[in-house]
Order: sequence, then C-alpha cells, then structure tokens
Amino acid sequence: MDKKQLQKFIQWLQEKNYIVIGPTEEDGQILIETISEPSQLDFSGRLPLYSFKKYLVPSREILFKYKKDDFKADLTAFKQALIGVSIFDLKAILLYNQVFEKDPYYQARLNNTLIIGQSQIPQFQDLSFKVWEDKYEEDILEHLQFDIFLGQAKEKKSSEFKIFTGSKKGQQIINDFAKQSGWKSDYEHIEYAGPIKEEGVSPEMLEIKEKMPGSLETDIWQNLDQRCIECGKCTIVCPTCFCFSLTDQPCLNKDEGMRKRCWDSCFYGEFSEITGGHKFLKNTAERIYNWYYHKFVRIPDEYNFPGCVGCGRCSMVCPAGIKIHEVLESIKTK
Amino acid sequence: MKNSYQPKIAVIKKIKIQTPEVKLFTLQFKNKEDQKNFKFIPGQFIEAGLPSFSEAPFAVCSNPNDSDKNFQICVRIAGQLTKKIHQLKINDQLTVRGPFGNGFPNNLTGNILLIGGGLGLVPLRPLILANQNNKNFKMQIFYGACEAKDLLFQDEYKIWQKSANLVLTLDKQCPNWKGNVGLITTLFDKIKVDSSAIAILCGPPIMYKFVIQKLKQAGLDDANIFLSLERRMHCGIGVCQHCSIGSKYACKHGPIFSYQELKNIPGAI
Repeated sequence: MDKKQLQKFIQWLQEKNYIVIGPTEEDGQILIETISEPSQLDFSGRLPLYSFKKYLVPSREILFKYKKDDFKADLTAFKQALIGVSIFDLKAILLYNQVFEKDPYYQARLNNTLIIGQSQIPQFQDLSFKVWEDKYEEDILEHLQFDIFLGQAKEKKSSEFKIFTGSKKGQQIINDFAKQSGWKSDYEHIEYAGPIKEEGVSPEMLEIKEKMPGSLETDIWQNLDQRCIECGKCTIVCPTCFCFSLTDQPCLNKDEGMRKRCWDSCFYGEFSEITGGHKFLKNTAERIYNWYYHKFVRIPDEYNFPGCVGCGRCSMVCPAGIKIHEVLESIKTK
Repeated sequence: MKNSYQPKIAVIKKIKIQTPEVKLFTLQFKNKEDQKNFKFIPGQFIEAGLPSFSEAPFAVCSNPNDSDKNFQICVRIAGQLTKKIHQLKINDQLTVRGPFGNGFPNNLTGNILLIGGGLGLVPLRPLILANQNNKNFKMQIFYGACEAKDLLFQDEYKIWQKSANLVLTLDKQCPNWKGNVGLITTLFDKIKVDSSAIAILCGPPIMYKFVIQKLKQAGLDDANIFLSLERRMHCGIGVCQHCSIGSKYACKHGPIFSYQELKNIPGAI
C-alpha cells in the first residue's frame, strides 16, 4: 500500500466514524493526538513522547455515576483507530490485555478500538542508547496483538507499506476497504503465537529477575534514593505503568457524584500508606526498588513476560538523569 | 461481563458500641438474593463505602454460618470515611463489594493458637464463632489491648471461654484489672505453647516481628504460622498495585499468608 492509498484508508476510517489517533509532529516533538487530516500523521518511526496508554487505560475514567446509593456503570466507548502504534507500545498493549482481562471498562474500549501498528526498522535509530538488544524482524509480529500492521522496509526510503493483519477484525476492515475503494487487496495474516518467542523469555530478562532480590544488599537503591526526586514523570510516560486509585468525586448537586479510577504513582508517599500513617514503602529507595521489582519480577511472575518494553521514555523524562539501562546494568554486574 | 467494582447496598440493622472509638455494625443486603448468595470465609474482607467518601477494606467479623441472614464489620474512627460511618444510624445504608481475599486455611485441626493485638481480634472473631462446637479444634486465644476500655467483644468472652482458653493482657495497668499486664509477648513467658500448634496472628505490623520470635522459640513450624496482613487496598482484585507484597497481592493472594511464604520477602512483615 503506498502513502496515497494509506491516506485514503485513513480517510475511509474517519468516514466509518472512527476517531483516528496517531503520531504527529508538533514543534519538533512527536506527540500522539487525534488527527483530522491523514497528512498530519508522522510515519517517520520517531518515538512519540507519550505512548498510546491513555487511549486504552485513561488517566481518569468514570466507573460509576451515583445518585444516592444508585451506582450506574457507564460502559459506552467510542470507536477509535490507534494508528502508527510502535512495537514498544504494542508490547504494552499485551500487558494491558492481561491485566485488564476481566475489566468490563477496558474490554468495552478494546472492542471499539482498531489497533494499527507500524514499524520502520530499526526503531532505535534516534535513541542515543539502547535498553537492550532485540531483533525487530518480521517474526516479532507473531508475538504482538494488533488488528493491522504497517511494515516499512528499512533499506528503502520508500513510502510503501506492507500490510499485515493480526485479527479477524483487521481482515474484515482491510477487505471492506478494498471492496469499497478499488484498492487491490494485498496482505499477509499473522497468527498470534503468545507474548514471548518459542525460546522463552530472553536470558537477559531472566538474569535481571534473578538478581533483583539480591540487589537489595548493594548500594544501588541507596544511590538512587539520593538522586530520585519522586516526581512520578517516569510512571506517567511508562507504557506499562498502570497502577491506579479509586476515588469519589461529589458533584454540586446533592447526593450525586462519580466514582473514578485515576492513574496513581508508586513514587508518591501515600501509595502504600494505611490508616494511622504507616507506610509499607517507607522511603525513596524502597519505592524505586518497588518500581523496578514490578517491571522485572512481579510482572514476569504473573504473566511470564517482561514488564518493560525497552522504549527508554523513563530515561528521557527523568529530571534527575536516572537511566534505566544503567540501573539494569548495575543490577546485573553487582 | 461481571463488574467487580459494582457495589451492592447493605442496610444497617444493628449498631453496638464496642469502645469509645469502635462500633460493631450488623449489615444486611438490601436485595434478599444478594444476602442469600453472600458467603465468606473467616479472614476475608469486604470493601465498604459511602457515596462521596469512597471505600475502605474491613474484615467481615461475624459468624460465617449466619451469612445468609446478615454480616458484621467493626469500624474504628480513623479518617473521613470511618468518621462518617460512625454517624450513621439504623436503616442507613453502606455500599459493599466482596468478599475478597483468601481467608484462613479451612482445614485447621488440633491446637490452634489465635493471637490478636488491638483491632487484630476483629478478623479472628469469625474463626472463634464458627468453631465453638468443633471437637477437632483446641483453641487458645491470646488477646492484648492497650487499656481495659479498648478490649473488644467483652460481653462475649464468657461464651468463648466455654470452648476456648482466652488469655487477656493489657499494655498498661488499669483500675480493677486482675489479668496480665505487659505486651502480648509476655504471655509466652507464662504460658507454654505446644510446638505442634497452628498459630494465627492479627495485629499491628510491629507485633508480628516479636510474636514470631516467640513462636519460633516455642518450636512452631514456619508453615504453621499464619498472619493476616494489612495493606492499602483500592481494587480488591489484585490489579491496582497498592497492596503488593513481593510478587503477591494482599487483597488477592492474602490477606492471610503463612510465615513460610513471607519470610524471604523484604518488607512483608
């Protein structure tokens, strides 16, 4: 599919009442926004500052509207097409799909979402470092969940996209578009083969998982304690940070309000605080250890794949200059 | 699809003042079917709340055999929500989700030692009430409170003592108090604990460290020591991350854990 066809396809999605959301350039930065014109989309493969997280796991969502004791769930979701989702962000979607497997709000949203991945290989080209090595060959697509995937050949600077489908929904959409637009349908279907490669979790991931508990004896976390200012920026940009709190927001009308689910951050002191003021994560060192533990031990224990997609966004936004690849290296070598 | 966040409505049927700060609420679901289907295991908890005041976890503390009729929670004034709950009257309503968590092991037999500190007696009460006529259950209860006025369920001790050996201790000497004075650990210096006993602990975090030492000295197996852990909880279903303990969640895999499960997890106790 060439660029012109792709733009037609996006327009067609908009005509089908999809809200189209994708990477767009603004003041030299790549942001993920709702677009009105297909030409606004940036397919350069540069890493957007934020991930697609908030479109599947919103920063604030209303679980219930209540009137006295009557709690009414609002499970309506609008049709959205997430386009240009990088492999990093697709890996995060694998995690959401597991974590929110039984969550009716997430499932309603997912059912109304068309996920269109995109990769121009390699993605690391504009990172000054890499968190770890990974081959972004086509075989990686088997381990991602998407509806449609746009593959860009890396050797050619062409605007030609190879189309893959990863779901029945994706096939249906492509077939419908072909039928209605006259585009000569040409795609390859990829069957999802689980979140990890046949060889299992990478040895590097296993090594970090093994060494995490022992790292408590080292000075790694005390050193980070001195540097981290607990701003929570890393948790906001991290595509796999999903922790939340439930809070009620009363309305001005008597006896009415909303029960909301909002992003939280394990770097904030109240996160583990119980009645009486006791905190189970007592200091910055314990909180930052918990953050790494969640990504590199707890998530692998729960779902058997890493809780870090390797995008490096946390390092980019950290005002204290903490680099995740350096921390992981020190866990491995201590 | 089941919505685990959907609260049900429970009506307050009875309020009993336990201490100046603690009230015992007898609740019944507004919907009869909800009450009929409500079953809990001792040690499990519910998320109870009020619209505009959100929710908090409370141990269900009534006899599980009565769960088709009603259930009870004990509420201490500690924050906005509990202050508001204390102002409620009979026939007022609460929102309830759950029960959540694993509860105490259900195959307990032999010598059972229940150790409660302060409000820690609350989650142990259903276990006491459900096993009053259990011939396979030799129950001993160590219960410590700060002062005499803080002792919970005082009017029930006589009945409990028919089937259990209840030993009380107060941190401070109080007028007319003839029982033991000293922290709960001092009871271990006066009363021999059988090494084959199963110990079940619930109390403030500081109590665990010292009581476990005493239990280890008495020769108890790590797998026979059970603890009920308190954590901040929001979702109750092991998703929100507030109550994580290592790779486990207090709300989902707990709140009851054996010492064997916890001893190698930093920060668990």
